[in-house]
Amino acid sequence: MVYLEEKLKEVQDSGRLEYRSKALPTWCPGCGYFAMVDGVAHALNALGIPKENTVVVSGIGCSSRFPFFLDTFGMHTLHGRALPTATGVKVANEDLTVLAVGGDGDGFAIGCGHLPHVAKRNVDITYLLFDNGIYGLTKGQTSPTSAKGFKTPTSPYENPDQPLNPLLMMLSYGASWVGQSYAGQPDHLKEMIVKAMAHRGFSYLHILSPCVTFDKTHRTYGNLGMTVRPVPASHDTTNQNAAMQLATGGDPPPIGVYYAVPRPTLGDSLDGLVMKAGGELPRRRGTARAAE
Amino acid sequence: MDATDIQILIVGSAGDGTIAAGNILRQALAEAGYKVISFDVYPPEIRGFGKCIARMRATIAQAYSLKQQSDVMLSLDDSHAIPHVGEVRDWGAVLYESKPVANAPQGHITGHIRPGQIPYGCAIREISEKATGANRSRNIVALGYLAGLYGLPREAFHAIIDRQFKKRGAEVASVNRKAFDEGYAAGAGAFKLDDVAFGPPQPNVAPGTVVEMINGNAAVVKGCLDAGIDCFFGYPITPATTIMERLATEMPRHGKRLVQTEDEISAISATIGAGFAGTRSATATSGPGLSLMQEMLGLGTMAEVPSVVFVSQRGGPSTGMPTKTEQSDLNSALFGGHGDAPRIVMAPTNVEGCYRCAGKAFEMAEAYQTPVIVLLDLYLSNRYETVAFGQKSPFEPDVNKRPRKQDLGAGYKRFALVEGGVSPRAVPGDAGGMHIVTGLEHNEMGRPADSAEMHLAMCDKRLDKLKGALVHPDFTVTKRFGAMGKAAVGLLAWGSTFGECLEAMFQAEKEGIDCAAMKVVMLSPFPEEAVSAFMDDCAAVLVPELNHDGQFARLVQGTLGRKVVKLTRVPGVPMRVSDILGEIRRLAGRNLPQAAE
Repeated sequence: MVYLEEKLKEVQDSGRLEYRSKALPTWCPGCGYFAMVDGVAHALNALGIPKENTVVVSGIGCSSRFPFFLDTFGMHTLHGRALPTATGVKVANEDLTVLAVGGDGDGFAIGCGHLPHVAKRNVDITYLLFDNGIYGLTKGQTSPTSAKGFKTPTSPYENPDQPLNPLLMMLSYGASWVGQSYAGQPDHLKEMIVKAMAHRGFSYLHILSPCVTFDKTHRTYGNLGMTVRPVPASHDTTNQNAAMQLATGGDPPPIGVYYAVPRPTLGDSLDGLVMKAGGELPRRRGTARAAE
Repeated sequence: MDATDIQILIVGSAGDGTIAAGNILRQALAEAGYKVISFDVYPPEIRGFGKCIARMRATIAQAYSLKQQSDVMLSLDDSHAIPHVGEVRDWGAVLYESKPVANAPQGHITGHIRPGQIPYGCAIREISEKATGANRSRNIVALGYLAGLYGLPREAFHAIIDRQFKKRGAEVASVNRKAFDEGYAAGAGAFKLDDVAFGPPQPNVAPGTVVEMINGNAAVVKGCLDAGIDCFFGYPITPATTIMERLATEMPRHGKRLVQTEDEISAISATIGAGFAGTRSATATSGPGLSLMQEMLGLGTMAEVPSVVFVSQRGGPSTGMPTKTEQSDLNSALFGGHGDAPRIVMAPTNVEGCYRCAGKAFEMAEAYQTPVIVLLDLYLSNRYETVAFGQKSPFEPDVNKRPRKQDLGAGYKRFALVEGGVSPRAVPGDAGGMHIVTGLEHNEMGRPADSAEMHLAMCDKRLDKLKGALVHPDFTVTKRFGAMGKAAVGLLAWGSTFGECLEAMFQAEKEGIDCAAMKVVMLSPFPEEAVSAFMDDCAAVLVPELNHDGQFARLVQGTLGRKVVKLTRVPGVPMRVSDILGEIRRLAGRNLPQAAE
């Protein structure tokens, strides 16, 4: 009881409850996604971003219910379309902090075609991908990151497909910030969300999470707890090749920052076009942003 | 004689500079003070030997479409021109190369010119080689010949040629000017036998307006800019691409942003994202792209986010006929998405209408918080007309309904069920305005809610609020022409085909048939009262349109429960005025002989 009271006081004092909505999350007890709500609230609070200047855009899926649980602006859009919608929000108003959130099915199955383009454009948004390797909202079917051999209602004998490697894909697409975290380590997750959001440009944070309801055999807290390990301290986060090697090492690959390099954002490039055309740039408030 | 009404046809092969010559000619005619309407036809391939046609009609009085017969034809390639000789009227002129390097497979063009048509041979290639040392300026020499033959003002052409070739250096411009002048001298010296005569133009430009020679897509761009477009997201597709191309040049000059996306789904998603952020945003596409956008347009309706989609139709279904015109995406525009997803759909009938609809689409998207589709077609997108524009934008820069301060905060209801259905909308950046929009059915707060009562209330809201579009300020929803009382035949039409309808109506009136016509610009919400009243006045109602199934006729019949007579054609080119006239005569009980072809 003492522990609970202390924890409650810590959360109340932190100021991050300010960013939570009154709606209670609809996820199953024990779901890894609770840690992410807390992590994002913490990051917004830590970075001092006003809630009215924050837009959280999601697609469809368990994780895509995320915007409802924050007291910010939000768009709960279509299956697979969080990234292009978020791009539109950011292009329209550079003063906004824009997050895209979604699951492995939303991002790497139906929405996969948008990934290379948002990465190459370096749209200044943060993409939080909640990877539980399963379609939870439709009750446990195979996803593009499900393990080979995994049995689900749509692969009752076994999943015949190799899983995708999202980290390797995002690195090769040229994302300017790529990292991985794990829902079972909330403190690491908080720190990584802050880092991802502080990055100026497209940041991709891959978050490993179990589905406690529909996956009792593969990606469980037990299995992940035994295999998750940190990125070695010696890793050079400006070395794309080294980052790609990390992404192919281990199942799952380590958690931490893989790659982080500054380069001009889509907004910078569009401003450049305005200057080239002899136009006048609109006035902006300029969002305060922690240095990386 | 009647006021000037002359149609010129230039036919050549891809690479002959046919469209370039047509472009100079129509601009010069506009510069000289004539009203011009013009439409080109060319093959889908960039190179090769496909047929290119530039057609233009210069008039004193306002014309509404091209004529079926031309007064003058200029051939730059006889093999392509010979099949079009019949398009030239009696005592009209055919201009051609008198010393061709080789005959066309059908023989020399003079063998095909009918008695009564007047042939004019000109040594186009020889003159070009003499003037410029190359035969590359054949099209300009030929243009000069035509201008000289009809005594068109040389200065107007010089100005256009200078403007056209300036980018490629002063020397290129002066060489082309020389080619033009040599051709002009030859034309002016030719013995003129035909009865084509350009009367004095009437440059009666209203004060405070500027006349521009502009096509439908360029007019859309002008409308976007005058309405203060902030963001555009698009993916190339014929025949809508030139909207994006032109905006890509113009928007940065105004400090605005355009992004070429990876597909149409992304384009509409970003457009709606930018609309949510409170800006005026748009995309442009054709039928295939519209199909891809349907799901996201449904979200636009559900989430009540403003967006504007320009759809330039082409021959369908599937990839269809990309460089041919058609009006077959009406069903898709009206009913393409799943669920009960009402949206605003409008279709301009001429180039000026493209400008007005473009600007008003942004107003309406904002005022009624919904997607707005503006339906164009290839014919309208690529059709040039002289349009007089005012110097001030006629569009409202901000018609948003914003929440009052006291309504913001924890209790803010983004989707409040209010009178008229348009709830005050906060946008990101507004303190206390935080809310979530969702594709799920939701309550007034925007939270998921699927009770029968809430679903009904929200369905009603999304439909009812669109009624405002029927009485939107300064917008022509329908317009009636011709007989104002009872009429034997009423033409009810939408989109680009309305011009042909008006021309047919004028001809029917000359034959003594009581004829009326109504253009329907607003297609959703459907102007039931106005259309019904028009139908009350007409003994028979004819609906001409360029699609196979009679999509608009079905809309009218389905909405009003009244019969109309369909006239459907899918030739890939504009409807023939004579087809419409034939139907009018039939319905009026006249059994007159068909007009001469």
